[in-house]
Amino acid sequence: MVAASGLGKRVDTAAGPLDILTDIDLQIQGGEAVAIVGVSGSGKSTLLGLLAGLDLPSSGDVRLAGHHMNALDEDGRAQVRGLLVGFVFQSFQLLPGLTALENVMLPLELAAADRPRAQAMQLLERVGLAGRLTHYPKQLSGGEQQRVAIARAFSMQPAILFADEPTGNLDSSTGETVIDLLFELNREHHTTLVLVTHDEALAARCERHIRLEAGRIMAASNTP
Amino acid sequence: MNHATRWRLAMRLLARDWRAGELRILSAAIIIAVAASTAIGFFTDRLGRGMVNQSADFLGADLVLESPRPVAAEWLAEARETGLGTSEALKFSSVLVAGDQLQLGGVRAVEAGFPLRGRLRTAAGPFLTDAEDTGIPVVGEAWAAPRLLTRLGLNSGDSLTVGERTLLIRKVLTFEPGQAGSPFGVAPRLLMNLADVPATGVVQPGSRLTYQYLFAGAEQDIARYRGWLKPRLGPSHRLIGVQEGRRAVGSALERAERFLGLAIMAAIVLAGVAIAMAARRYSERHFDMSAMLRCLGATQRDLLALYLAQLLVLGLLASAAGCLLGWLAQQGLLALLAELLPMAPSATSAWPVLAGLLTGLVVLAGFALPPVLRLKDVSPLRVLRRELSPLTGNAWLVYGAAITAVLLLMWRYTGNAKLTLAALAGGAAASAVLGLLGFILLALGRRLHTRVGVAWRFGLNNLWRRRRASVSQILAFGLALMAMAVIALVRSDLLSTWQSQLPVDVPNHFAINIMPEEVEAVRGFMAAHAVETTRIYPMVRGRLVTINDAPVRQAVTKEAQSDNALNRELNFTWTTELQEDNRILSGRWWRAGDAGRPLVSVESKLAERLGIEVDDYLGFTVGDEVFTARVASIRSVQWDSFRPNFYMVFPPGVIERFAATWMTSFHLPPGDKPMLIELVRNYPSITVLEMDLILAQVERIFRQVTLAVEYVLLFVLLAGFAVLFAALQASLDERLYEGALLRALGASRRQLRSGHLVEFITLGALAGLVAAIGTECLAWVLYSQVLHFDYSFKWPVWIAAPLTGAVLIGAAGYRGTRPVVERSPVLLLRER
Repeated sequence: MVAASGLGKRVDTAAGPLDILTDIDLQIQGGEAVAIVGVSGSGKSTLLGLLAGLDLPSSGDVRLAGHHMNALDEDGRAQVRGLLVGFVFQSFQLLPGLTALENVMLPLELAAADRPRAQAMQLLERVGLAGRLTHYPKQLSGGEQQRVAIARAFSMQPAILFADEPTGNLDSSTGETVIDLLFELNREHHTTLVLVTHDEALAARCERHIRLEAGRIMAASNTP
Repeated sequence: MNHATRWRLAMRLLARDWRAGELRILSAAIIIAVAASTAIGFFTDRLGRGMVNQSADFLGADLVLESPRPVAAEWLAEARETGLGTSEALKFSSVLVAGDQLQLGGVRAVEAGFPLRGRLRTAAGPFLTDAEDTGIPVVGEAWAAPRLLTRLGLNSGDSLTVGERTLLIRKVLTFEPGQAGSPFGVAPRLLMNLADVPATGVVQPGSRLTYQYLFAGAEQDIARYRGWLKPRLGPSHRLIGVQEGRRAVGSALERAERFLGLAIMAAIVLAGVAIAMAARRYSERHFDMSAMLRCLGATQRDLLALYLAQLLVLGLLASAAGCLLGWLAQQGLLALLAELLPMAPSATSAWPVLAGLLTGLVVLAGFALPPVLRLKDVSPLRVLRRELSPLTGNAWLVYGAAITAVLLLMWRYTGNAKLTLAALAGGAAASAVLGLLGFILLALGRRLHTRVGVAWRFGLNNLWRRRRASVSQILAFGLALMAMAVIALVRSDLLSTWQSQLPVDVPNHFAINIMPEEVEAVRGFMAAHAVETTRIYPMVRGRLVTINDAPVRQAVTKEAQSDNALNRELNFTWTTELQEDNRILSGRWWRAGDAGRPLVSVESKLAERLGIEVDDYLGFTVGDEVFTARVASIRSVQWDSFRPNFYMVFPPGVIERFAATWMTSFHLPPGDKPMLIELVRNYPSITVLEMDLILAQVERIFRQVTLAVEYVLLFVLLAGFAVLFAALQASLDERLYEGALLRALGASRRQLRSGHLVEFITLGALAGLVAAIGTECLAWVLYSQVLHFDYSFKWPVWIAAPLTGAVLIGAAGYRGTRPVVERSPVLLLRER
């Protein structure tokens, strides 16, 4: 489902070129749940950005469900994202100008899906927010906002879900509830999950770990 | 994303931004720009269209012949034979008397059938609704303009006297064709029947009268008659067709539009700056949303369409509101100038609305589009790395778009490429100089910084840190205050100069049209009333036609060909004694034995303009007769002495054979005015010019026109406020954060508020200071180069401008920064 070979990312800094990622090879099968772990600055988020087609690598190649992301232009990658990819972010990234319902409807509307409102309402009900449809993000708690974001991520029934520190902004009990929800939905929709975190407990819930250190894969292991 | 989705989403986002107050400054700035431009647009359109549609109606005919004397009867016979309708009228100025009130009026006596084109409009009484009127005043009656009635304290049904004839005022005259071409007519109008004229006694040989002959008919007949008439016209005849009538009003309107247009451009450019600032903030506040939409699969095209739709709808809505405001403002402008307008404005048309909408969109495209276009370049990676912003906009694109928009609009206002570029270059140069000045003042203020208390340090620091925004605000307000100060200065100085030109003992009345046989009687009358007059001079009206045997237009320089003195009759006199205030500059004054010799003394300024020197031979016509005289002297004249003075003075015995009237001037204190009534009753042909009243009238017109200009300048001030609030809004997030931090560190609300007050009072005072410096320089140039006034240091401006700036901007800025202390610091820090 997700494949990277010889992937590298180099940026120019005042002190000369800096390699953020070097020589990354990985394969993620459909339906798999993979955690990318590592300390701050190890390159986790950069790798997520490359795998999801949000950014282009300096070297190497990314394939997403068979699409050569390097070969596509920005609009082409946007279309692939719209069709195949869902996102959950640490900072939720809801549009402040739209209600919970409208935020969930947005990807459906962008893809001109059928009955976006009904689908979105169903999803919000599924994440336990049936009573919060017309609330704006500001009027929701952090946990509620992340649940809206999860509903939005699943609205297009994506083949792959990328989650970047999804509990980073939540207290531990709320975080746990949100993660339970994320994995439940993941199972129900048979989605491939790529999760970036520095939380070992959260990583432990995934089938496989990819550990990054200074931009290189140090170890890949299956959860015992 | 399909079109419907994009549209729905765009409108939803727009509505949300609107509710959140994100678009207030942007729309206010558009509204100001559009209101300013449509106010002038409506104004000139309504007047201009009225003029073009109805110029024949305004002229009262298709063709008008004006002559100081009656024309040959065959000319009229020829017109009737050609198939034209004709009508005669007589125009003259006369002192109108009602009880003990006097007023110089512009009188027109007409015959049945007047006007041939268009209609008179009358009302039953002053300030009542008027209607078209198909008749003319019957014998023994007159129709008077509202202003005349007000001046004389009359109402319809009262009587007034013209010369020796008393007329009953039957109706109020609200519109009279043929008054076009003198947009700022001074004397209030009276319309009477031609048959009453002999009884008034105003028509005497040598009286200043204008005979009008109106013609109307089919276009080709008019053209044929025109062709027949033209070769027969003498230099004193004036032929006015529809084009000429239109041109006179048209050029006055065009000048007004250009002048007001430049003031409006200043408002539009300032509003544009505010729009650019607000659009930049709008763009920055939408980076996150754009990145998220990109993540969700939106293409660049989707984003572009999304934001352009919002911009378009916002632009149209704000422009529509601006049009409405502009229309209201234009009503105010019309009301301010109502008394001066040559015609009733026609109904509002849709054109200015269209032009207003277009102006709004052009300003928006020029100033708001470049920052908004950046939104499509936001990287989707921003959702992971918030520090990623799209590259700053291409400077060429940003400034290029703005300059193109300004050029486009300016060209529309001035209709003249050279003027546009000159105004733009001048504006840019002035902005650069004043901007630099603002920067220097700001830097000087900064040097105080270490010697003042904490509130001052905080305030001055804020100004210096945002110095680009500070300078642009100083510039915006400086320009607005400067323009208003210059207008106010020129007005008050012009008025006080006029008043000071009339010292108590100087003559303030002219009596003209004194018949030769009345001269002794008038002298006696004045003596009997203990009124001291200047000498009584004969006056003959004639034209200068040749210089050294060459037709005058060929003899003079190209610039002098359009000299007014060549296009009208000049006043001649004869005398043995040089007038008190005249000096001989070259040549010699009359000697004994010069009487009867063809010599002439020429006024020096006229001589200089036309290149006339001593010993030149000048050819004159008086009536139909031609004669020549040699220039014996060039003479300086003090025109503002209010004594009778003449361009051409002859020795006795040269022009005495021509019909002459006599004139004199005298001083009359306001309390002695009733004497004038007796004078005019006894000698009805005499016209008294009350210079004090005429000056008061000119003064009033001037006051109204300058008020109208200041009214328009209010838009510039408003646009300045838009810049202030846009800059405030742009810095608000930062201010909120800083305020929260400072409060968390223990600063009191009072300390923060004092700091804000210091910041904006200083900003306003600096803008006022820039305005004062600019005003001083501009006033110096105006006074010494244009108005030729004595220049003195304008110290009141140096107090008023900084004070006004400090109060206005201090109050607005203080109000605008209130959220900084109103929101909880905890919330603000957490949001960050």
